[in-house]
Amino acid sequence: MKKIINTPERFIPEMLEGIYAAHPQELAHAGEDLHCLVNARKHAGKVGLATGGGSGHLPLFLGYVGDGMLDGCAIGDVFQSPSPEQMLAVTRAIDQGAGVLYIYGNYNGDIFNFDMAAEMADFEHDIRVESVVAGEDVASPAAQPGEPNRRRGVAGIFFVYKCAGAAAAAGLPLDEVKRVAEKACANVRTLGVALSSCTVPKVGRPSFEIADDEMEIGMGIHGEPGIRRGKLLSADEIVDEMAAPVLDDLPLKADDEVAVLINGLGGTPLEELYVMYRRLAHILQQRGIRVYHSYVGEYATSMEMAGASISLMRVDKELKGYLDAKADTPFFKQFGQ
Amino acid sequence: MDAKAFAALLTRWAQVMEDNKEELIRLDGLCGDSDLGLTMSAGFAAAAAEANASEEPDIGKLSYLAGKAMASAVPSTMGTLMASGLMNAGKALRGRRELDARGQADFFQSFYDGVRARGKAEPGDKTFLDGLKPALESMEKALAQEQHLSPTAQDAARAAQQGYEATRGMLAKHGRMAIRGEASREYLDPGAAVAALLVGAWANQVTGG
Repeated sequence: MKKIINTPERFIPEMLEGIYAAHPQELAHAGEDLHCLVNARKHAGKVGLATGGGSGHLPLFLGYVGDGMLDGCAIGDVFQSPSPEQMLAVTRAIDQGAGVLYIYGNYNGDIFNFDMAAEMADFEHDIRVESVVAGEDVASPAAQPGEPNRRRGVAGIFFVYKCAGAAAAAGLPLDEVKRVAEKACANVRTLGVALSSCTVPKVGRPSFEIADDEMEIGMGIHGEPGIRRGKLLSADEIVDEMAAPVLDDLPLKADDEVAVLINGLGGTPLEELYVMYRRLAHILQQRGIRVYHSYVGEYATSMEMAGASISLMRVDKELKGYLDAKADTPFFKQFGQ
Repeated sequence: MDAKAFAALLTRWAQVMEDNKEELIRLDGLCGDSDLGLTMSAGFAAAAAEANASEEPDIGKLSYLAGKAMASAVPSTMGTLMASGLMNAGKALRGRRELDARGQADFFQSFYDGVRARGKAEPGDKTFLDGLKPALESMEKALAQEQHLSPTAQDAARAAQQGYEATRGMLAKHGRMAIRGEASREYLDPGAAVAALLVGAWANQVTGG
């Protein structure tokens, strides 16, 4: 795989140097560590929203730091969790006395580190922290009753950021922002398809093997095993196979309203995403499900992996209001209504 | 054991992880991403460096600081779990400048509790806990019989090794190994291997080996 890099070791620090250089008015780092990214514009008294995770998924995670979305992000190396110290530095920088909510994807390393950071924030600095862990990939097994969520967090976390970010910007207190984030999580489902592998720069070879004429339905954004590998199908056949498990899992029924996200994994052109959208819109219409708002583009990638994911969030009046709100980050902008 | 000896124990732990790096990489590579050897040697090295550079006489505070250093150095799953063990032991032993046999058993128990709370695993899930738990039970038995520290530590080391070996046959419930389902039973757990190394190195320190 060809990459435009200098050295694998400096890949993420140099990416961050570029991001800060490109967006000096909007983004800043907490202290000296570039991996602790915060919104340069503070909004007094609001609940702080923080996320974090491994690099290799832009615009996830740091791309959603900005007005109407998140306040800070701890950034790890490619596919590696950032450290609790880095999460703590972000937490301290964004706390304005109203407490901090962590929203991040359902991966063990991230959970352990965010939990430790939350304990350190409380134990060492008296900052109240709550957490919402997003996991909505229907390719991973659902939890048994009483078990914690076992599903991987993938592109659908964008909807959680959007709704919780709007709720925090509207001045809601910590418990209410957490409730909105949990409500968004509970109503979103995602399924992906991979056509080719990603390559982690420090590893230097593809993360997994997949033949030129193959695809894998349900593969995770780090190459976690999916549901079915087989010959590459047509766009319509792929969308038909992907849509069914997403629709049936919630489940969605006639007269439900949804927000749609067709997300490119990094190596698939926007044109193909719209070919997918065409078929998905047709399926939703046939089922009597109304589309409230659509997003098509790259929202959560996996380096240069070719493929896409479909996310659907069931929306009600409250979530629609938060979806409509203004958002302004260097990577994502939406005019408010 | 005073703070100096505690720092020396961390140095031993860093060394034993370095010495066993290739074996841990091999064990972890069978099911995982084979970075365990690297994270354990780098993580305990960071913890040892922090403790040896500190003048802190409070073993609890020292353990907490060492754990934090480890969490920063290796924020991987197993790195954070071991850091959680050191930090929880630090909270439990806060204010202690000297650990007798009872205190050292308390250190391992609170280390275990910290790892268990962070990882939300139970004994029998084929994890680090299954290496350390038999050692804790062995220590409690020895303390109840007022056994001396040296044989207590040696018995605990044997128990940890047996606990590690008994993970072959257990069904993995966490991490990448759990994806293998029933097939996971044929593997030894690399986390339990780490537990056996930690208790073994402590026993060597106690016996002057």
